[in-house]
Amino acid sequence: MELSIDRLTKHYGRKIAVDCVSATLTPGVYGLLGANGAGKTTLMRMLCAILEPTSGEVRLDGKEIAAMGENYRDVLGYLPQDFGFYPTYTAAEFLSYIAALKGIPRDHAGKRVKELLEMLDLAHVADKKIRTFSGGMKQRVGIAQALLNAPQILILDEPTSGLDPKERVRLRNLLSEYAGDKIVILSTHIVSDVEAIADQVLVMNAGQFIMQGTVPELAGRVRGKVWELTVPRTQARFWQEEVTVANYRHEGDNVVLRIISDGKPADQAVPCEPILDDAYLYHFGAKEA
Amino acid sequence: MELFALEHKRLWRKTIVRICVVLCFVYSVIWGSVIWYQWPGFGSLNDSTDMYDNNFDGYYTIRDFQEQFSQFGDHWTDETLQKMVAEYQSYDVMDIPGLQSKGDWLLAYSYLRDLYPELEDPEGHQYMPLLHYADTSKIEGFYERRQDLLEHTLEATRLNGYLTEADKQMLLDMNSQIEEPWKYEWTRGWQDVINDLPSAGAKLAPYLAVVLAFTFSGEWYSNTAPLLHTTKHGWKKLAWIKVLSGLAFAAEFYALIFGAKVVVQLIYFGTSGWDMPIQYSNLLAVAPWNMLQAELFDLAFVFLGVIGYAGLIMLISALVKNNVLSLVISLAFIYVPDILAGYLPTWLKAASQYLPLVGNGTDYLHYNVFHIFGKGIWSPYMLISVPIIIGVICLPFAVKGWSRRQKA
Repeated sequence: MELSIDRLTKHYGRKIAVDCVSATLTPGVYGLLGANGAGKTTLMRMLCAILEPTSGEVRLDGKEIAAMGENYRDVLGYLPQDFGFYPTYTAAEFLSYIAALKGIPRDHAGKRVKELLEMLDLAHVADKKIRTFSGGMKQRVGIAQALLNAPQILILDEPTSGLDPKERVRLRNLLSEYAGDKIVILSTHIVSDVEAIADQVLVMNAGQFIMQGTVPELAGRVRGKVWELTVPRTQARFWQEEVTVANYRHEGDNVVLRIISDGKPADQAVPCEPILDDAYLYHFGAKEA
Repeated sequence: MELFALEHKRLWRKTIVRICVVLCFVYSVIWGSVIWYQWPGFGSLNDSTDMYDNNFDGYYTIRDFQEQFSQFGDHWTDETLQKMVAEYQSYDVMDIPGLQSKGDWLLAYSYLRDLYPELEDPEGHQYMPLLHYADTSKIEGFYERRQDLLEHTLEATRLNGYLTEADKQMLLDMNSQIEEPWKYEWTRGWQDVINDLPSAGAKLAPYLAVVLAFTFSGEWYSNTAPLLHTTKHGWKKLAWIKVLSGLAFAAEFYALIFGAKVVVQLIYFGTSGWDMPIQYSNLLAVAPWNMLQAELFDLAFVFLGVIGYAGLIMLISALVKNNVLSLVISLAFIYVPDILAGYLPTWLKAASQYLPLVGNGTDYLHYNVFHIFGKGIWSPYMLISVPIIIGVICLPFAVKGWSRRQKA
């Protein structure tokens, strides 16, 4: 299975939301990273065929997805960033409704709904109305609906937003386990989520992919540019204004700064092993990120 | 089917839908039929002419009237009218108009007034004066007089430009199919039934609008579009399912209200008199229909109007994003033609009558003829068919309109 994105572009009037992006996605987990407004959601909506591109195309195994119509939607699972529920529905009813929309036979749908409710720790609230749910619970219902048809292509827009740390870890494990021979694309601006599960990372800025690669590859690109510097607390503000500080940790009367810089920022600075966060900050800068 | 069942269930479980159905049932059935028949409509008169001072005994009063008027025979002849007038004149206390109106005295009076004007004393000023003093020996030739009056009325209508000669002939041909002598039983109950049903249909409109105006526009508020569009069946099938469940709701709503009204009618009036001609409701009506046929027409008129209106509302809902605006426009189609009736040009006023649930469902009692490509069509045929055609035409546009906006 191969999902190819070919010079995909979307304009809203004069504004370019997605600017001629290309990529070839094969089974695995893809993390789409980018600041707010980078074009992630627009790209995802085009990948889901809800938004028509201004130019370019998306093909699944050589067939254009817009032409595939329901055959494409049959293998697609999508969690939109902001989406609505029918508040009077219970979780089980809502999932059954979406299962019917996905054309899943009733017998099979019942089992699948039950399975997903258990998988996402919602079984105990299956018969409660969604309007009584917390944000995290609603998000899990959203994830469950995306997984209903066991999609070959799973697209999740900000799936971890609203989830507490325990739920985030559970979701990451679930997605890793699910991926296998499927294409999973998740967009987020939480770098650690991507770092934990993504096989490939696509970094977007101003509608373009500015970096593509595995987590070690991308992190490796800033090797030699990440430093740790211990300074008195009184100097912390000075360094924050002068360089990109990725982290700030107190140690007695001093602070330990993790600095992203092309050159050694100070004589006493020591190089350290880069992580994806560092690569992300290197490109976006602390303020923009 | 599964999706339809779920969508249909979703519609019915909305609180606003349940409130609308209950309110409409209470207003149309409990008040408009049960309480109306039992109290102001047919309750016996207490000591005032105010119908809300009536006794709460309509069920028994109706039976009394059915019994009382059965003495005048089962067919309407000159003798029937003579006997009725004579009976009236034998009473001492017949200056109680409320009680008179519930019997068939008003019917007898209107026949005397219209067909025997020479019997009228211009000095008389009592309520229904002719009944008090008409010379019963001069009451004869009922059907001949009616025929003369009908021909005269149609000719006057033609001369006023409302009918062509061909229309007039068509109406006279229809009239010639009415069997004479007319079957007769107490008519007041049936008159009430056939006049009430079409107006009860119009009363369904606001409730229907409240329920269906949000069919599509409501989806903008629930923000479910991105999710729904990526499902296998997608927006198009869902839009059709929504339309079908909207129509199913409209049909069920209609069945609930009108089924109940018919049951109440059967309980109160029974079935006797179903084969009386509708001319008891309008002496000069030309349709060769009996009361049952008229009731069936009324029911069909309302049903097709309800379905047509449902289609219209759903189109508006698909084209308008705002729930309130969708509701207001839907209601405007029903009420604005009435409000602006005095200001609209004649052709537009006439055309507005063919909007669903707007026209007069009892037009079969009148002579309106609509002309299409020079061919005269009796208005009831148009009134029953145009609203449903409008509704059906709206449906694919509703689906298309919604999808077009979703893709934007």
